[in-house]
Amino acid sequence: MELDQFLAAITPLNFALALFGVLAGTIVGSIPGLTATMALAVLVPVTFAMEPASALILLGAIYTGAIYGGAYAAILLNTPGTPSAIATTFDGYPMAKRGDGDLAVALACFASVFGGMVGALALLFLAPPLSKVALAFGPIEYFWLSVFGLSLIASLSNGNLMKGLAGGAFGMLLSTVGVAEVSADIRLTFGSQTLIGGFGVVGALIGLYCIPVLIDLVAVPGRHLKVEENVKAVRIGDAFRLALQSKFNLVRSSVIGTLIGILPGAGGSVAGLVAYSEAKRTAKPHQKFGEGEAGGIMATESANSATVGGGFIPTLVLGIPGTPPDAIVLGALLVQGVRTGPAMFTQSGSIVYTFIYGLLIATILMLPTGLLIGRYAYKSIVTIPKAVLVPTVGFMTIIGTFSIRNSVSDVIIMLCLGVFGWVVAQFGFAASPIVLGLILGPIAEQGFVQGWIIGDATNNLFGMFFGRPISQGILAFTLITLILPIFLARKKSKLNVELES
Amino acid sequence: MLKRIIFSAAMAIAMVSAVSVATAAKLTGPVSYIIPFGPGGESDISARFQQPFFKEKFGQDMVISYQPGGGGAVGWASLNGLNGNGQTIMGVNLPHIIIKPAQKDVGFTTEDLNTFYMFHYTPDAIVVTADSPYKTLADLVADAKANPGEVTMSGSGKASANHLAQIKFDKLAGTVTTYVPFKGTGAAVTALLGKQTKAEWGYTTVGAKQGDAVRMLAVAMEERHPLFPDVPTFKELGYDMTGGAYRGIALPNSADEATKKLWSDMIGEINNDPAFRQQMLDGGFAMLDVDADGMADFMKARIEEYLNDAREAGLIK
Amino acid sequence: MNRSTARSQGQLGSLIVSAMFVLAGAVTLYDTLSYTDRDSRVFPQTVAIILIVCASISFIMRFIKPTGEGGFGQGIWWRRVLLISTMVLTCLVMPIVGFLPAGIIAFAGGLIAAMHDRWTLPNILIYWGAGGIIMLVFYTLFKFVLNVPLP
Repeated sequence: MELDQFLAAITPLNFALALFGVLAGTIVGSIPGLTATMALAVLVPVTFAMEPASALILLGAIYTGAIYGGAYAAILLNTPGTPSAIATTFDGYPMAKRGDGDLAVALACFASVFGGMVGALALLFLAPPLSKVALAFGPIEYFWLSVFGLSLIASLSNGNLMKGLAGGAFGMLLSTVGVAEVSADIRLTFGSQTLIGGFGVVGALIGLYCIPVLIDLVAVPGRHLKVEENVKAVRIGDAFRLALQSKFNLVRSSVIGTLIGILPGAGGSVAGLVAYSEAKRTAKPHQKFGEGEAGGIMATESANSATVGGGFIPTLVLGIPGTPPDAIVLGALLVQGVRTGPAMFTQSGSIVYTFIYGLLIATILMLPTGLLIGRYAYKSIVTIPKAVLVPTVGFMTIIGTFSIRNSVSDVIIMLCLGVFGWVVAQFGFAASPIVLGLILGPIAEQGFVQGWIIGDATNNLFGMFFGRPISQGILAFTLITLILPIFLARKKSKLNVELES
Repeated sequence: MLKRIIFSAAMAIAMVSAVSVATAAKLTGPVSYIIPFGPGGESDISARFQQPFFKEKFGQDMVISYQPGGGGAVGWASLNGLNGNGQTIMGVNLPHIIIKPAQKDVGFTTEDLNTFYMFHYTPDAIVVTADSPYKTLADLVADAKANPGEVTMSGSGKASANHLAQIKFDKLAGTVTTYVPFKGTGAAVTALLGKQTKAEWGYTTVGAKQGDAVRMLAVAMEERHPLFPDVPTFKELGYDMTGGAYRGIALPNSADEATKKLWSDMIGEINNDPAFRQQMLDGGFAMLDVDADGMADFMKARIEEYLNDAREAGLIK
Repeated sequence: MNRSTARSQGQLGSLIVSAMFVLAGAVTLYDTLSYTDRDSRVFPQTVAIILIVCASISFIMRFIKPTGEGGFGQGIWWRRVLLISTMVLTCLVMPIVGFLPAGIIAFAGGLIAAMHDRWTLPNILIYWGAGGIIMLVFYTLFKFVLNVPLP
């Protein structure tokens, strides 16, 4: 039975579809503004003519590829190609800047394949029990998860905690602009129609990360990235060695990614941030996160790729899509006549299993294709003269931001945010805390408000916020993340004092 | 003889040209169908159902894209700026397009939207988990009366169909329940399944999607939904409420009458396809056939109803 | 020395940016007064207060201990301004002249802004040619493959 579905997945057609999907997805993901959601939405009608399983394999492969492709732009241009790759910029871009961009791209590929495999295997073997995770997470758990994500601000604010916190708070305020998601009030638009839709995450990412890079690029002569004299290929050997060294990091991050992928309200960006935060917390003294540490890339990339498989767990088992691409796949399934929901594994089991095997195959195919495309992406970014690179990237930011909502005002908002982000960054307010606030703000707000309403209704506010086991666990991790570095720093300085005396 | 041939040829030409005048509006390429929400919601699913039928019947691709923001307001505010040549259409939702502009200035008014067809609605329903202590609606009402405010019910957003239904039902049943707004039906269902709330204000589509995992206590329809012959209507149980969220399609208001007619006919034809109807019913939707001609009356009645409900609920002034 | 630090670009700019964030928090607090729903007020109010507190602390600390840290650094201003202004101009004229012609403005602006080498004829031909091809490829990809309704 199982073998049948595996064989069905590797028919030449399905194999070709998986290959094509990964290729197309990687390219889509690498262009900021082009999202997996968009590519899938366009391709769904094409899949109507296919067998359900083939259609799903194609869609799943594109999604997988896109999440990985997001790393290229993050590493080489400091611009996450997809929101999932935000934390990839933290170490990826510093690595590229010092001349290790090829290594970073290869590392991202290994980590993505590993994470993708973990996610897909979890989907294959553990989907029904793991789907309970999605249900165990209530509003309060989301609230604390977002607080945990925000605690990362402490370490991202380059030594100035107050500025980091101010940036994070500002980002959260930005996230409230427009029609409130759940309470339907119109906030902070000052009567402007343009702002009613709020600040889209993808546009804000492009603005806050990419525009400052462009502004800095044009201002001074010289190369974009430092290049070693004899660039031959992507440094596969070095990358593999590094990946082996941090196998524990990879496993932990992939598990985090799978679990957070299961949560319908979170997604790849949160998974990447949480995995990064954990990798940083458990770092060895010689690892300098934020300055081009390989572990940072591996944590983020394995976690965000694991969310693909993880995200399909609630989608397939509960009929609740975790991310927009999952929702599109779910829609395609419905049109194909596949009943989703609890009955799906039993009634349409063969399609589902063929799809999961297809996803696994696509993930494995990502290894050769990812390294190959990565090599060209890296080579072209370092060899293209700045005078062509800058306008090309600039053009991409415009067309990409426009196409998210087909709106010119979104492009103008993106540019304004970009200039704003560049200016405040010159005075110590880094972009990343603002972005964290923007992404985690809505999760925090909704979780808080819903938790408050439920707690208030049942006269158990305190128990609601602090009495639930998962909440307590997340809260404990948050406190450890925040307090441990301070404690360690104290101890270290004490030690130094003793040594000196 | 010759005269007759000439005459009939002239007639033929006249007829052909007359026909071509009548069908002056026709599609010239792929059609862009904008959903002013993200993917995965009821608007998206029903559009996806229409997609293959449209291609099959009219030979053109229907390209669905998403333009989320402001609970649909971003899309609707931009609709009339789009080209009215019939190549672009946009989904519209009730009560959103009535309540939102009545609350605040959101860049469009209900009358701005050139809606040409209402093709289905998702009837309101109270959903509980399969193992819930509420076996019937009476159980829930009894609990809500005994413990005012402690019965929590999730739903999609505020000032939405779910929220209006909750307020209306509380009034009819004389209960006090607590409404917990979530971001979309998916999140509200997740909260229900995870027992974060005791019940959910959802639609019949939730029952269709979740199958045995949930139980619907009542549906807000005139008659029982064919997919759920065992679920009573609110009316049967003595609560006079029918309705839900209505979905239709609109053109930019620069579109001419012929284009509007063409689209109304095309969507009507899809709506009358038995295979399409079956697919929709299996998904838990309820069919509706309000074409361009009947739209004014339909909208007038709905506007009155929703604004009245919203005013009573204190959502608008 | 001390006086020059206190008046340096980094010092003044940091104070201004911090003050700006405090102002943003205050504006938010004012805006929340008009919300009809308590649920939509509580979060922005809390966050605005956090913003005001943090930004004020960073303002005061900087004011007490002036340093020259921060500032716009080296770099040629006309290039930065040219890059951004052409991109903005592109957005403004896009609805009127269409996407491609507008895109050329941004592309040309970016190219000139980023061109630190000497203009030679082969350079000009290659760069502008490459630019044209890149724009056409992206335009085709978005407009016809992804069906984005570009103006």
